[in-house]
Amino acid sequence: MPSAPRNPTVVEKLRRHLISQEGVLFMIMLVSVLFLATRTDKFLTVDNLLQQGRFMTEVGLIAIPMTYIIITGGIDLSVGSILGLTAIVLGWSWQELGFPLELAIVTGIASGTLAGFVNGLFIVRVGVPPLIMTLATLALFRGLAEGISKARSARGYPEWFFELGQGEFLGIPTQLWLLIVAVLVFGIVLARTQLGRALYAIGNNETGARFSGLTVNRYLLLIYTFSGFMSGVAGYIFVSRVSTTRSDMGTGIELDVIAAVVLGGTSIFGGTGSVAGTMIGVVLIQLLKNGLALSGVTSDATIVVIGSVLIFAILVNNFIQTRRGGD
Amino acid sequence: MKKDKAAPAPRHALDFLGIALAVVIIGAYFLLPFVIQPEHGPSTVAVLTESKKANELGIFKTGLEVVPLAALGMLLLGVWNVLVPGAARAISLLLALAGLLALVYYINFFRYTPLGPPNEWGEGTLIGSLGIAFWIMLGASAVAVLQALIPRPVPAPRYRVAKLFGNQESVILFGLLLLMIVIGLANPRYLQERNISDNLAGNAYIAVAALGMTMVIVTGNIDISVGSLVGLLAVISGRLVVAGTPAPLAWLAPLVIGGGFGAMIGFLVAYLRIPSIVVTLGMLSIIKGILIIWAQGERVRDMPADYFLSQMRPLGIPMPIIIMVVLTIGVALWMRYSATGRAFYALGGNVEAARLSGLSRRRLVMTVFILNGVFVGVASVMYSTQFNIIQATPPPALELSVITASVVGGVSILGGTGTAVGSTMATLLLNFIRSAMVFINVSPFWLKAVQGLLILVTVLADLLRRRRQRL
Repeated sequence: MPSAPRNPTVVEKLRRHLISQEGVLFMIMLVSVLFLATRTDKFLTVDNLLQQGRFMTEVGLIAIPMTYIIITGGIDLSVGSILGLTAIVLGWSWQELGFPLELAIVTGIASGTLAGFVNGLFIVRVGVPPLIMTLATLALFRGLAEGISKARSARGYPEWFFELGQGEFLGIPTQLWLLIVAVLVFGIVLARTQLGRALYAIGNNETGARFSGLTVNRYLLLIYTFSGFMSGVAGYIFVSRVSTTRSDMGTGIELDVIAAVVLGGTSIFGGTGSVAGTMIGVVLIQLLKNGLALSGVTSDATIVVIGSVLIFAILVNNFIQTRRGGD
Repeated sequence: MKKDKAAPAPRHALDFLGIALAVVIIGAYFLLPFVIQPEHGPSTVAVLTESKKANELGIFKTGLEVVPLAALGMLLLGVWNVLVPGAARAISLLLALAGLLALVYYINFFRYTPLGPPNEWGEGTLIGSLGIAFWIMLGASAVAVLQALIPRPVPAPRYRVAKLFGNQESVILFGLLLLMIVIGLANPRYLQERNISDNLAGNAYIAVAALGMTMVIVTGNIDISVGSLVGLLAVISGRLVVAGTPAPLAWLAPLVIGGGFGAMIGFLVAYLRIPSIVVTLGMLSIIKGILIIWAQGERVRDMPADYFLSQMRPLGIPMPIIIMVVLTIGVALWMRYSATGRAFYALGGNVEAARLSGLSRRRLVMTVFILNGVFVGVASVMYSTQFNIIQATPPPALELSVITASVVGGVSILGGTGTAVGSTMATLLLNFIRSAMVFINVSPFWLKAVQGLLILVTVLADLLRRRRQRL
């Protein structure tokens, strides 16, 4: 029912926040955490939670650009392959080409960025739909990784290399710092800058955005390249964490990432979503995996739970948003 | 498309010359053996083998010399017509390809004949094992005949090559023929009937799953849980039959259960309005989890002999090929002519318009997901009866193969377009590419990269084609 606009009271504001997409998800997360904590006392400990932070960094980093991309109505399925390609190029250029390790890291991440750029270029210039383009490069980049590595793994990195993946800084896993900074920076970029607003505009109505004078192509090229870059960084962290490179690294990570983004309230049709929501999605999935494992549930049963939570969370959210929208 | 009511284009005599040559090739292949050496049955192979044995030049005494000559004729005619528009260019290209393929066989025959005595599948004469590839040539010739006979309302202006490539199916068909010719020249074993039929039969289940996927994508949805579901249904079917269920029931069960899963997905998408990619992403995990927990990683074995549907060969043709062909034709016709089939396109093309035309979105989405579930069920039976052991894990990355096949086959991921024939042919193309890699000794490490590149090329070819049509 239409009513005259008035300033919302504090209670109304609070209520609005609580039933926002992120709010609902956050409550689901709290409930799960409390539930899991009652099941096992190993779960809700600082050590364990920090350890989980270590494990979720790669998914978390890739989920940021994925949020951007899905907000514009696109998708990037090739992130896992880019991760694998980066890892292989890193190990290969260091061991086979004799690059210094620092340069090898840069080369690896650069190749990931280039891979993302190629995705973006074809999507923007040739007009290949993102899903199809990244489906093709999902196979292509993984194939390149396999071809370059020839099933050999590179190991034997010097001590300092593991600092990022296995070390700690101020008592918190090093890579978690990176994730926190990235989330803050790119969360603000999405919510508070012209770039961010442009992404929503593209997702809501691409043609409209074009006619409003937005350089849609440039934005799209940028975010797909960004996706390649972040997948590359995640690849570097992955190698540093597990101390070796293999060409099958990151296989299937795209589904984890997309699940987290969608769970976080980003509409797969584009136009809505936030980095905060995505991060709640990432954390929720990781905590569920870990908590259930600690409660003695096998990892196979865990994926059933995660699948159900994904559907259930969207269902609840749909329900609440529909009620709230009053339509 | 413009349809001017103009007088039919005058036929050029050349239209028919090429076809006559094609008929000669086909006729020679079928008829001459009966005439010359009836004891060997309806295949030129035996004739050639016998002739070869009797006399190095014997072949040319049996009358078979017309075949390579006709092939050469078709090739030259085709090429000439492409350069100088005589027959429609489309026909010319097909003729050239068919002729080239026929020539390839004969060249290979002369190159590789003295390999030893023929064994049960004709290793002795490579051409002897080229059966199915011959059928492909036959198909190309048949299309050429049809193209020539269809009355043209517009005097085929300028004989555009682009016209032939006017749809994704023909682009893929050309890709397939080209692949066969090139790889066949490099390694004739690639064209052996055994390789081709193994390839077809071994991947038919992907094509069947892709049919369901095509319908789902046409309505503007997607299903990424296919791989897990195939794995689960295969194990269910296998365990049922091991537990003593009659084989036909064990074949039927996956169809019903698959339909049930489809109904569940359809309900969530249609009535609870969750995007299909989210639902099936969730179902992917759920089904995979159920499979792993329930099957405990134990492979199913010791199935009774009458269970192996995929290993049956009625009329000498492997069962999976029959199922694939029948279902493809069935779905193609159904999508094209039935009210529901048309409604799928309408829904995918424009939801709002479909709603205003009185179509029920909910019911259509339910229908398409149930159908998809049933097709996945069929695919899982074909998969589970293929070998003597059923793996307790989902076939790796099957959903990607299936989606790729649908998409490469010309299904727009945005819904509204796409055909069953295209998706099946794309499945074949993708898998022929994969096996071609083995035959030309691509390092297995680079296999996936080349495959990815070729998928990209196919997609780009399709896009360029569409762009050109728009202009």
